[in-house]
Amino acid sequence: MGVRIDWVAAARSRRAPWSRGALRLTDAAARACLAGGGHEASDVDLLVNVGLYKEKNLAEPALASIIQEDIGANPGHPPVAGHHGTFSFDVANGGCGVLTAAHLVDGFARSGAMRLALVVAADADPSPAFRFGGVGAAMLLETTDGDEGFDAFELRTFPEHARLFEASLVWEPRRGRHAIVVREDPAFAARAVECAATVVHALLDRSRVSPSEIDLVIASQQPASFPDAIARALGVDAARVPAGAGHTAGPLVALEAAMRSGRFAASRRVLFVTVGAGLAVVAALYRR
Amino acid sequence: MSPSWMLVEPDAGAHVARFESVGVKLPERRLTTRELMASTAHRQHIDLERLTGIRERRVGAPGETSFTLAVDAARDCLARSRHRAEDLDMLVCASITRSIDGAEYRFEPPLSASIREAIGARRAIHFDLSNACAGMLTGVFVLNDFIRRGAIERGMVVSGELISGLGTTAAREIRSIYSRQLASLTLGDAGAAVLVERAPSGKAGIAFAGFTTISEHSRLCLGMPTRRSPGARMTTKARTIHRVAMEDAPPLLDEIFGESGLGLDDIDYLVPHQTSARAIVAGERELAARFGVKPKHTVINVEDFGNTASTTHFLALHRYLTEGRMREGDKVMLLALASGLEIGVIVLVMDELVRDHGRSH
Repeated sequence: MGVRIDWVAAARSRRAPWSRGALRLTDAAARACLAGGGHEASDVDLLVNVGLYKEKNLAEPALASIIQEDIGANPGHPPVAGHHGTFSFDVANGGCGVLTAAHLVDGFARSGAMRLALVVAADADPSPAFRFGGVGAAMLLETTDGDEGFDAFELRTFPEHARLFEASLVWEPRRGRHAIVVREDPAFAARAVECAATVVHALLDRSRVSPSEIDLVIASQQPASFPDAIARALGVDAARVPAGAGHTAGPLVALEAAMRSGRFAASRRVLFVTVGAGLAVVAALYRR
Repeated sequence: MSPSWMLVEPDAGAHVARFESVGVKLPERRLTTRELMASTAHRQHIDLERLTGIRERRVGAPGETSFTLAVDAARDCLARSRHRAEDLDMLVCASITRSIDGAEYRFEPPLSASIREAIGARRAIHFDLSNACAGMLTGVFVLNDFIRRGAIERGMVVSGELISGLGTTAAREIRSIYSRQLASLTLGDAGAAVLVERAPSGKAGIAFAGFTTISEHSRLCLGMPTRRSPGARMTTKARTIHRVAMEDAPPLLDEIFGESGLGLDDIDYLVPHQTSARAIVAGERELAARFGVKPKHTVINVEDFGNTASTTHFLALHRYLTEGRMREGDKVMLLALASGLEIGVIVLVMDELVRDHGRSH
């Protein structure tokens, strides 16, 4: 028992990256994902948002609850006849949000607490200086008794590199406004690849899988060099690492490309590897 | 299966989870309601203390942040625990506010990564979770699932809420009792932590855990940074929230009582989210009218602390444990009601925590 990926969808801002907020991107991606997977919004038991940067820097409520209302996933009480209610909350773990959420969802599925979960991610901000904006994505995870699904997760944090990437909201007294300040040390990208490779090797060893058996690698898209660099570090052909875009949504955008091209369907073993500030690494093996 | 709630079925999982220790951090500085209302920029005639039952709240001193409150609460929790920080398998930070080191809000790394490092929980996997004032109980909901399945043995949910600044913003802008910032004046600062572990075989612990989101009300309470000044602002349609909660909560609880075999009169201590004494009393009256019975005791803990956001349940639990008011076997219902609209229930059967709480390990 666990979860299999039922469908993935991405939504892009057609104009400048900052012209659409995170909410509109996640709403669009969530709706496209439900339509693609052939589900009604009311089928969703659990909705987890892992995007970090939202319009107005909303801190309360969880953006997931607003998305739940927007897409009409059992927004009222009692729920639609024959359906469960929907529970929504946000998870934050830098660039590792999607897999962190998948780990929680996988657990709830194993407990029989849910059948269908929607994991959504987008980063957007009104400020033109912002670099992560303009893309959102959603993934439907369905409880399964079959062979396909997430096999194993490996989560590890390397606190010695915690200061290499920091992003915060600060008040700028001179300009009289709040601003998001992103500090990325030039060494972050290289350390991220080293740490990710260490975690992936531990995961593969534990699962008795060799890198040559990996058909497809779904990776974080930040730092921008990460997909190619992790392919090199693992000795995997770069053609097996599809390109995506975005920050927290990055791995899902890459996965959506792999689904569209048929690569995902043709793969037997898929490695997910995400990195984020902390320095956090979450990797997972997916069996098809 | 209950139609509205997401819950782990009572017979699912090989283990039971229990609260092993509870810790808090309260800033030293006190701000009385009288002082706060005297600081308003516009003349108003609001008797906030009579309206809410809040006499004072704690406010962080310069240098205190969400992070320091969370770390101090985590350390207090560990000081009361048999376990050390390095024994933790999971660490969840569930605060709404995330101030740290001069930043008003930290996006990345998650605050949990910094807390993990500060307390030395070097084995713990970690993440932050946001669910408004239901954050800590949502964290317990997640940990309960991991522990029941045997995926982990123990973890900690921690929160540091440096949130009284929203009251400062409200005091500057509020003009009348109808202001949507009125609820911001009830907020106080606090940190809280709870260590959840696998209970010994055959022992009681978390008997029920369920959550649901009535999201048609998702925009009734919004918190975000202010545009032209440092700090943040929260706008709340408090009357509407109270009304819809009164409409939706009783039938939802009815489902739980059907599911768990419990009745409201089986509950020894009902610990609702602490907003105002008047709202809690009105809610208690509504539940009594609906069910014809009452919990034996409804906890009101706002007088000295106000509404401390995601930490209120654990501040109340800590106080009752410290005062020795709970007995082994008592059934405690922690009831989350938060912006979203999030409704959550954790039912706990009290065990040796009532004896262990006052001891240092």
